[in-house]
Amino acid sequence: MKNKTLLVLNILATVCCIGLGYKFLLKPLMAETIYATEYKQLMFQCDNVMRDHMIAKNRVKHEKTAEAIHDLKASELGLVSCHEYDKLRKVMLAWGLTAEELSYIGLEAIEENANDLIQYVETHEFKY
Amino acid sequence: MNLNIRYYFIFIIFFSSFVYAEKGLGKILRSVIIENGFKSPEYMYINEHENLAPEGEIFFKSNHLSLNGSISCATCHIPSKGSSDGIPNAAGVRGLGEGRERLLSGAKIVPRNTLALWGVGSKDFNTFFWDGKVTLDKDGNISSQFLDSPPSNDPLIVAVHLPFVAIREMIEDNHEISELYKNENINSAFKIYDQLINKINNESSYGVELAKIYDISTDEVSFFHVADSIANFIRSKFAIKKTPFENFVFDDLKLNEEQIRGGLTFYGKGKCSSCHSGKYFSDLNFHSLPMLQLGFGENGFGDDYGRFNMTDNYNDLYKFRTPPLYNVVKTAPYSHSGNYYDLKEVIRAHYDPLKNFDSSKYTDEERIGFFKRIKYSSIKPSELNYLDEKELDDLVEFLKLLSFD
Repeated sequence: MKNKTLLVLNILATVCCIGLGYKFLLKPLMAETIYATEYKQLMFQCDNVMRDHMIAKNRVKHEKTAEAIHDLKASELGLVSCHEYDKLRKVMLAWGLTAEELSYIGLEAIEENANDLIQYVETHEFKY
Repeated sequence: MNLNIRYYFIFIIFFSSFVYAEKGLGKILRSVIIENGFKSPEYMYINEHENLAPEGEIFFKSNHLSLNGSISCATCHIPSKGSSDGIPNAAGVRGLGEGRERLLSGAKIVPRNTLALWGVGSKDFNTFFWDGKVTLDKDGNISSQFLDSPPSNDPLIVAVHLPFVAIREMIEDNHEISELYKNENINSAFKIYDQLINKINNESSYGVELAKIYDISTDEVSFFHVADSIANFIRSKFAIKKTPFENFVFDDLKLNEEQIRGGLTFYGKGKCSSCHSGKYFSDLNFHSLPMLQLGFGENGFGDDYGRFNMTDNYNDLYKFRTPPLYNVVKTAPYSHSGNYYDLKEVIRAHYDPLKNFDSSKYTDEERIGFFKRIKYSSIKPSELNYLDEKELDDLVEFLKLLSFD
């Protein structure tokens, strides 16, 4: 009886460990592996329309022409692109990635071109 | 007349007319240069407190002024590299060594090309950094991130304050710094300056020495005194010296054919002097050019809005300050993100940006970003004419005249 209880408890503990490992380690890792690239792309697209909106707003501040106002309205509508980014962000959070981890992936996306720079410096040596 | 003698006379007449023509073109070039505002560097130099320069040199080279990193002004402003660092984007905290070595050792990237310091702080030099973070207007007002409370009315001293509080450049980002910078308040910068003064006092005797020089008590020493001494060092160390160009204009130095042709292209057909004008071969104003971006850029995703980041004005998108040209042959790579390692290529990029553009090498974002820069630079129709290979070579020969040690 005692052995049986121990066995059940062991099984329970193992299931719990597997469950916790899955929830806190495997699932976030899977989320990052599956979604990181898409997340970076959507982040760029959202960033792009947000910048576009910022510039259009700024343009209206400096020239209140019909064209500038039309441009602003269009870029307001363009912000819909951020919806996909928001959705994926929520999915990734639900899969156990933390906000800090998402910020880090975002930072990687922003600074992606740093690799081009390193490559460039490795290729060219400047002579004086 | 003997046929040989006749040929000899014809040759003499032909050769004399050629020499005369060159002499005439040289004369024209000289007068055009003066007309375009060229002044002897001697006239431009100002430094009322030259006695502070030796102390400034110590601070310029001291890692003590990096709050939590190991870097100094001298890490990126290297005299043997034309007072720049020889790499496209600057290498900030975390790296080891200088220039290329520093960047490849994992330094944090500062996404702009390090500007040379020649002539900085001299007479009428009133616009600092690629995007004009610090400017002095005609009425003596300073525009900077310090808003209404600039630490000095000397724009160079204000400019010297900035790198010490710039994350990645001289400060490494950590939790404490992030918390301090969260509110984007000027007071955050002043808190860092106070911490730097404490650091100097704890780690060295520089504070005591500064107090002696300024004839104040140690408690009264502030970051202003540090910045003031560095500014005075920069003024004297990186003062513009006599160049072959000046010798040509004022001392009758003879130029060769290439140099004269290059000069005439610079002030004539090439219209370089539309922006590279005045005492520093820069109008110290902002222009948009179709230059390829390298690195992730000030705005991220391989983009850099330039002057717009400072003015928040749609009309300033992708504009950067015209770089002065003294010692230009020593300050490669060129452009705000250092994407051009050859002087001839960066000149070409002004009027023919697509010459070496291979779209297959770029991502969609990079290609679209480049197209945007082309669009914005063509809002004002390009004033630059097509130059052939020979004209480009001549221009480079001409620009070499602006060199000094």
